[in-house]
Amino acid sequence: MTEYTIALAGNPNTGKTTIFNTLTGSSQHTGNWPGKTVARKEGVWKHGGDIFHIVDLPGAYSLSAFSAEEVIARDFIVENQPDAVVVVADATNLERNLYLAIQILEMTPHVVLALNMMDAARAQGLKLDIKMLSSRLGVDVVPMIARVGKGMDKLEDAMVRTAEQGQRDKQRPVREIKSPIHYSAPIETALSRIADVIGQHEVMKKRYPRHWLALKLLQEDETCIAKVSDMPNTEAALTLAHQEAARLRALFSEDLDTIIAEERYTWINHLATDVVQGRPQGPTFSDRVDAVVTHQVAGLVIFFAIMWIVFKLSTDVAAPLVGWIDGFVNGQFAHWTIELLALVHLQNTWFASLITDGILAGMGGVLVFVPVLMFLYMGMAIMEDSGYMARAAFVMDRYMRRLGLQGKSFVPLVLGFGCNVPAIYATRTLDNPTDRILTGLLVPFMSCSARLPVYILIATIFFPAYSTMAVLAMYILGIIMALMAGLLLRKTLFKGAEESAMLIEIPAYHMPTIRNVWTEMWQRTRAFLESAATIIMGVSMVIWLLMAVPVSGNGHFANTPVDDSAFAHLAGAISPAFEPLGFGNWQNTSALITGFIAKEVVVSTLAQVYHVPQQKLSPEEDTGFWAQGQEAIVDLFQAVVDTLKTIPGIFGIDLFPPQASTGQPALMTAIRQGFDHSSGGAGALAALAFMVYVLLYSPCVATMAAQRQELGRHWMWVSIIMQLSLGWLLAFIVFQGGKLLL
Amino acid sequence: MLHAILYELQTASEPMTLRTLGQKLNVQQSALEGMIQFWVQKGRLELDDGMGGASEVSVCDHKICFRSCPGPAQCPLASDPLISYSLKRN
Repeated sequence: MTEYTIALAGNPNTGKTTIFNTLTGSSQHTGNWPGKTVARKEGVWKHGGDIFHIVDLPGAYSLSAFSAEEVIARDFIVENQPDAVVVVADATNLERNLYLAIQILEMTPHVVLALNMMDAARAQGLKLDIKMLSSRLGVDVVPMIARVGKGMDKLEDAMVRTAEQGQRDKQRPVREIKSPIHYSAPIETALSRIADVIGQHEVMKKRYPRHWLALKLLQEDETCIAKVSDMPNTEAALTLAHQEAARLRALFSEDLDTIIAEERYTWINHLATDVVQGRPQGPTFSDRVDAVVTHQVAGLVIFFAIMWIVFKLSTDVAAPLVGWIDGFVNGQFAHWTIELLALVHLQNTWFASLITDGILAGMGGVLVFVPVLMFLYMGMAIMEDSGYMARAAFVMDRYMRRLGLQGKSFVPLVLGFGCNVPAIYATRTLDNPTDRILTGLLVPFMSCSARLPVYILIATIFFPAYSTMAVLAMYILGIIMALMAGLLLRKTLFKGAEESAMLIEIPAYHMPTIRNVWTEMWQRTRAFLESAATIIMGVSMVIWLLMAVPVSGNGHFANTPVDDSAFAHLAGAISPAFEPLGFGNWQNTSALITGFIAKEVVVSTLAQVYHVPQQKLSPEEDTGFWAQGQEAIVDLFQAVVDTLKTIPGIFGIDLFPPQASTGQPALMTAIRQGFDHSSGGAGALAALAFMVYVLLYSPCVATMAAQRQELGRHWMWVSIIMQLSLGWLLAFIVFQGGKLLL
Repeated sequence: MLHAILYELQTASEPMTLRTLGQKLNVQQSALEGMIQFWVQKGRLELDDGMGGASEVSVCDHKICFRSCPGPAQCPLASDPLISYSLKRN
């Protein structure tokens, strides 16, 4: 009975573990590699009366000692000298896998190449010339499908044969290995000079393969140099290697590590080209789709068309559900709350006012928009899960670069559509301070999802037939403003060097799964609900308090005419600044003030300041809790049906004739009247100007804090002043220009 | 092979995909990824996973984000971040 050691090496996800499990079965034990947190797996395979200790090396792409896994694999092969090494390679990615195989072949000739996933390679139309591969590498190559055990018997035979040879070769005095690669003449000359010196050293030549050690010393590998330095009388080898490295560096104007890697990759590329037949030559179906989807003009049209559909989902399709929540929160739920307060004798108290006029009005005003955000998030999730989002970014990047923005700037800017705060932090990815500041100044122009409910509320009130168009226009305006500001700043304050092109990893197209889309949609909606439960509720309570305090003595606490409240007076002091923009009343101003804290609270503030108190139901209308509950469920069912009916409408197909409108809810009517009054009858123009102002003025205090942290106090103030000024100016142009034109 | 990647990036006027570059250099895409990884390790190419410092800072942990999205880790546009590479500036 003879004992052998066989190491299993390979890139991650090549089926190495499957082979290890097949060979060792239950006789496995795991631990950690000495001094590392990387798991070490070993097992025993008994074959023909002999014992083979199988060591599963960590998956690695190379042995360049960049990671712990690479160091472990390299040290084990060199120091422990296993009798054989099985390199498991993915047949569909042979070219990449060969890089590791070549490096192992430079350390030991006792290698078996297990060419796994041959079924996948065949499915891709790849034909591999196994004989040629085996001949060029000088080792056994075993094609196999480890998943189903196909080829295992041949692999076992090759392993036994190679391990026996490996053990026999250990008896030889010198570990002589020649790399299958022939490096360029200057490198080969240097290698043989160093190898000759190593060959004269008794310890070095026994412990390490000469050629491999010469290569490592030439590459000035720190680990190897340290180990050689610890041996006596190695100065000659080290000095020679150092001199040769310096000579070759000067010759190639490049470090040796890179030159050697370059020659390896070139050699492997030639080998793979010879061995692998059937590589797709012409464009695939995916390439043809990409040619259109990422085309500089068609790609942009497709991007906006998809965004149109997403906003159509968020407006028209979500509308019946929005209506149901509005009806439920301000109808049945509000009624039940009032009844409950009456039950505990708290009706007509300040506490009842806080609950109904503060929390219920504020939170309810925002919760109504949950379906809107859910549809937006669903659209985003589908775009992301299908692989389209990366292509959209690819298309947009081209335009940003043309307008003077650094290629990488688009990532934080795209992030800004979700939330401006992480987008500001993402500017850290830009190494140039100028680009970082410029991008950080442009992020607030990206319309974050918190601004969407404001657009939808205003657009639904004033432009019901064109609400999708109005919302999309806001997003496009934000992008245009960012590009124009970027171009202007790049030509003036932030002159910078031209950036090189980017290399982008585009994922393959795939069908979005319902599970993924739902999970992503729900996670984001839950986060919105959490923010509603914290910041929106907090602001709603503060607003209620300010609205409950009388200023001129009319009324008393929690029973004050709203126009006489502290909040009305506070907002009223600022509102003249907005009179030229058409929305200069205290109600609209108050929403903009709280919106400075966070855009999520703009709608809740409007809901509070324009709040129309819930009328007590007449005895005929008050049908009781259960009947009202049933009514709410029936209404929900109807809302879902109505939602489904609107879907064909996205594509202009009206299968179901629209029902007669029942008019806008009382809150919407109050908001319309407020804008009409503040604008002297041009309510729609004032509303449009209001949307533009909400898009352009400072997004929230969190964004400002992030700007202060990332860009500095100075640039934070530049951003605030720029946003406020541009917002005011553009809203002014919209309102006053519109009045002149109409 | 390796230097061809840098050359292509230096001379390209537009962004390109890994697939396009692989076809241009007649290199399998997975092998190209390995070569790019080499340049990243050498500090000649820069990886941008779209998150920058956001994932390190963990905005949400700082409690300063009154957000309508759950932060960078689950951001609608960043949970499956776009990975790109560019030449590192000296």
